[in-house]
Amino acid sequence: MKSEIIAKDVYLNFPIYDAQSLSIRNKIRDIGSKVVSRSKEDISGARVIEGLKNINLNLNHGDKLAILGPNGSGKTTLLKLIAGIYFPTSGEVSSRGELSCMLDIGFGFELDATGYENIILSNIIRGHTKNEIDKLLPDIAEFSGLGEFLDMPLRTYSSGMQARLAFSSAIASTPGILLIDEFFSTGDIEFSEKSKTKVLEMMDSSSILVFASHDMDLLQNICNKAILMKNGEIILSGAPKEVINFYKDTYHLR
Amino acid sequence: MNFFKNNLAVKDFIFSIKNYYSWSYLSYFDLKLKYRRTFLGPWWVVLGIAISATAMCFLWSTIFSLDWKSYLTYLFSGFIIWMWISQQIIDAPEVFSDAAQYIKAYPNNPLFYVFRHCFSSFLIFLHHIPLIILISIFVNHKIDLIVLFSLPLGLLIVFINSILFSSNIGMLAARYRDIGPLIKSLMPPMLLLTPVLWKPEMLGAYSSYVYINPFTYFVGILRNDLIGLDFDIYIWIGALVITIFQLLFFLILYSKKNKRIVFWV
Repeated sequence: MKSEIIAKDVYLNFPIYDAQSLSIRNKIRDIGSKVVSRSKEDISGARVIEGLKNINLNLNHGDKLAILGPNGSGKTTLLKLIAGIYFPTSGEVSSRGELSCMLDIGFGFELDATGYENIILSNIIRGHTKNEIDKLLPDIAEFSGLGEFLDMPLRTYSSGMQARLAFSSAIASTPGILLIDEFFSTGDIEFSEKSKTKVLEMMDSSSILVFASHDMDLLQNICNKAILMKNGEIILSGAPKEVINFYKDTYHLR
Repeated sequence: MNFFKNNLAVKDFIFSIKNYYSWSYLSYFDLKLKYRRTFLGPWWVVLGIAISATAMCFLWSTIFSLDWKSYLTYLFSGFIIWMWISQQIIDAPEVFSDAAQYIKAYPNNPLFYVFRHCFSSFLIFLHHIPLIILISIFVNHKIDLIVLFSLPLGLLIVFINSILFSSNIGMLAARYRDIGPLIKSLMPPMLLLTPVLWKPEMLGAYSSYVYINPFTYFVGILRNDLIGLDFDIYIWIGALVITIFQLLFFLILYSKKNKRIVFWV
């Protein structure tokens, strides 16, 4: 099946429900800094933050899209919109093809459950059956390199080991459309190299890749399209090289 | 018919039922995890109920001047059923907020987490039922065979209601944070206002007032046949009517607002 992702005139507003006292603070902040305020009021008078503005995307089978932009520019929000976690306030998003998300990969973990059990739990939430997981389990276990710790409760893990487990359980799915938020700089040198290789493999076999990252070299090597985001808007889209150069120039990165 | 076919609430509900494997596995696992490092495990709850219900039985049978033997089954069954229902009500406001980390990290229909939660409570209730049967045998109670039919039906009705209620209140309470504390403060007096510890006929001329209370119906459909009380068709009709109202409310609220849940939790 051919995969595709289409977003048309998408706006996404986040409602803020505890913000009445924030408005004065926001105004002071806005005066103090030159940041353009992204919060305003919606029809019902509740405060909203404009998460995404006027997003248009058209990705076809084989496309690998790089998302660039400073922190808080809407990269993750855009990924979550494509994933179907967020829904547009106006406009349309549609996608065709099996989605696999590597956004917040550590979800579904229980501190009292063992490593093995946590792999099963998080993958059941991802929609796999117990039988499928049982077949994948030896590979996942080997990849994690956690050995006999997999029989011990997650409580006993260091944060690096937890990151290993989270990454290893997330790679069980075979990607069609692959959405990745930058994360694999976790773990020790050996594991981060290993996971990088694995992710590159997955990216290669994916039908569409959407990849938010700050690793310019990596983005330029992998992707054939790129967008630059700022304040929830796509301010530039084009070939990766061109967009990366513009980004570096704008933010004086060289 | 088209309304039902395209309705998001119907779609997600059916999808969740088809996906029963995942949430039932997670529910079972939640329980396993909860009692992992205890020796008696889930039987601690049974023991706890047995202790408090026995104490209450002797106190109240004296106060009401009742035969303690017949009162024992009435109180035990009522108390155990009440534990399930009231726990569902108290937990309902947090059903989506508790699943926030999943809802924000992975695209899944939010009803999935409601099923996971409600089925967990259902499983806890299931292993309390033998206690009621044991008590019945202990006091030489005869159980009518109709219970083989009415108990599964009653369980199904209460389970469906727990799903609908948790979803409805879960959504409202995720948006309006005052609903949770309000419901929590209403439940203790509801125990006294529902015929759990006392029998409706003890109210004399006022006994028909118990039918204002929706909990009367749900406690009734589970309890009456289990402890050999007279079959009461009005209780079943009442429970069904409440189910229909809950269902309508669910269809409207969920299909309109389910996409907002991720912003509320």
